[in-house]
Amino acid sequence: MPTLDEIKNTFAELDEDTALQLVKDALAAKVPAFEILKACQDGMTEVGRRFECQDYFVSDLMMSGEIFKQVSAILEPELKAGGSKTVGKVVFGTVKGDIHNIGKDIVVTMLKSANLEVIDLGVDVPVDRFISALTESGATVLGMSGLLTLAFDSMKATIEALKVAGLRDKVKVMIGGGPVDGNVCRAVGADDWGADAQHAVRLAKAWLGSTAV
Amino acid sequence: MNQAVSTQPATGEINTASAQLDARRARVFDAFQLRKPDRVPLFLPFLNILSQLEGTTNLELYNDAEKHIKAVERAALRFEPDLYEGMFLTPEISRALGDRMTKWPGYGLEPAGSYQYHESDYMKPEDYDAFIADPGDWAMRRYLPRVFGELEGLGMLPPLGMFALGTFCMMQSAAVFAMPPVLKALEALTNAGRAQLKWLQETMALIKHMEAIGFPPSPLFAGPNVVAPFDFMADTLRGMRGVFSDMRRCPEKLLAAEEKVIPIMLEHAFIATKVRHLPFAFIPLHRGSDGFISVPNFEKFYWPQLKRTILALIDAGITPFILWEGCWDQRLEYLAELPKGKIIGGFQDTNLIKAKEVIGDVMCIIGGMPNGMLTGDNATLIREHTHKMCETVGKGGGFIMSTAVGDLEGANPEMIEVWAEATRKYGAL
Repeated sequence: MPTLDEIKNTFAELDEDTALQLVKDALAAKVPAFEILKACQDGMTEVGRRFECQDYFVSDLMMSGEIFKQVSAILEPELKAGGSKTVGKVVFGTVKGDIHNIGKDIVVTMLKSANLEVIDLGVDVPVDRFISALTESGATVLGMSGLLTLAFDSMKATIEALKVAGLRDKVKVMIGGGPVDGNVCRAVGADDWGADAQHAVRLAKAWLGSTAV
Repeated sequence: MNQAVSTQPATGEINTASAQLDARRARVFDAFQLRKPDRVPLFLPFLNILSQLEGTTNLELYNDAEKHIKAVERAALRFEPDLYEGMFLTPEISRALGDRMTKWPGYGLEPAGSYQYHESDYMKPEDYDAFIADPGDWAMRRYLPRVFGELEGLGMLPPLGMFALGTFCMMQSAAVFAMPPVLKALEALTNAGRAQLKWLQETMALIKHMEAIGFPPSPLFAGPNVVAPFDFMADTLRGMRGVFSDMRRCPEKLLAAEEKVIPIMLEHAFIATKVRHLPFAFIPLHRGSDGFISVPNFEKFYWPQLKRTILALIDAGITPFILWEGCWDQRLEYLAELPKGKIIGGFQDTNLIKAKEVIGDVMCIIGGMPNGMLTGDNATLIREHTHKMCETVGKGGGFIMSTAVGDLEGANPEMIEVWAEATRKYGAL
């Protein structure tokens, strides 16, 4: 029977075939699914650490996401039966007028693997959909992505709408994507911005640490 | 604003449009050649800011060539760039083909929307063998029908190599060209061809009009598209997600596919530059910058193939305009391997002061103004930044001031004026 450390390590090494086999073996050996998932999440945390040290790259993050998706699919039936709790909720989407999904998808996968519940609204998301998703879900973190410079206006409009809806004080806003920088963050009125997916995870965890239910 | 327009001592009569045209052209080509011009040239890719300036939509400017010309003229006279770009290409070719990989105002986007590329894995992992065996056949019969709704009929064609049987292929297969789906595809291709011809004529009219009022066209984006072989596989075929997993799951196939596309791109570039009498190739780079792939992977999958492609273009007398998208701070030493004075490089997030030190004697550097800075209203910050760029990156020549992203969309027009004036002032010191 594989140990949880072995699962974590093969995951962190991005050894796809071995990691998936070990997960299946552990499940067959009646290791609780949530423990296996935890080992994989620890593996993802290690991937994130290596990314921040610049030992790993976007291609590695993406690969870890690919492996995590497959692991999640294997464990999902068991996890559903057992019930599981996440750290907090994040509403995420690429803003109105922008259809780019790659960066957004990487961030969403990384947030999910960090045990956050992500309401992924997809791309070209109108302002009112962000607002209704936040209202309905009660999420306290909003992530907006955009690769085009036109995305700045949509981000600003969404943040303005948050104020009108009386949500601005309750929701922390992060933005990211190709041309986003500190100037853009200030101009659109976001709380913070990130240059990569790991930064988004760090921001969300920090914010939810102080506001999570 | 006019007082800062340079006087080229050799030409003297700077007040005529023709003299201004010559002065701007000389200024730009001095920078291309790594010489010091009379002042740092300014390149303004107007693109989607034109509709903002005119109070109209991108769709209207795409649909009305006269309005487009007027918009470019007004913007050029207001900001006085040495190089300019109008609207990006045309939606009409995509419309004619039922394009699934791009969206345009009026074609998948609302009238005010901006052109966008929809990346996907149009090529699946199981397509590698067929691609490597015969990229042309695979592209024509398998890829085009997936990417363009109107070209699905091309999937009915026999293997293209069969046409080498001449009469005996036609005797067996000519009927396919009378099949309704194939006829529909051929008609769509004809319509796309007409759309491109119309766009070319309109572009020529824009160029002529702008030359008449003193503004030279930019050769930078006009050359044939060449890409890094790795990006060829990533951008329009496997997608970034696909190609990144291929590096681990089937590296030999990825490498073999890259080898296949190099001679194809080179032949295309050689023919296109000859036909257009314009010895430039446009190379936008995507997945080789800092952060996407590791240095060992860069050295295995990206750089050697790209370098070979660049060197072959230079050997053929073609000047590559390479758009080093993203940040290249940690990989500048690779760029320093390239021949000196043969390349023009556009930069996005790279630290240009460092780039000037490492590759200032290798290639003309274009860039310097982060788009985010132009969206605000901090004129002092813009002047200071422009001053610093002109003083450092512009030192000794070989620098053209431009935006980090090749589009002024979203910029504050008043801040563009501040920036343009500052470039003329500090770029002449």
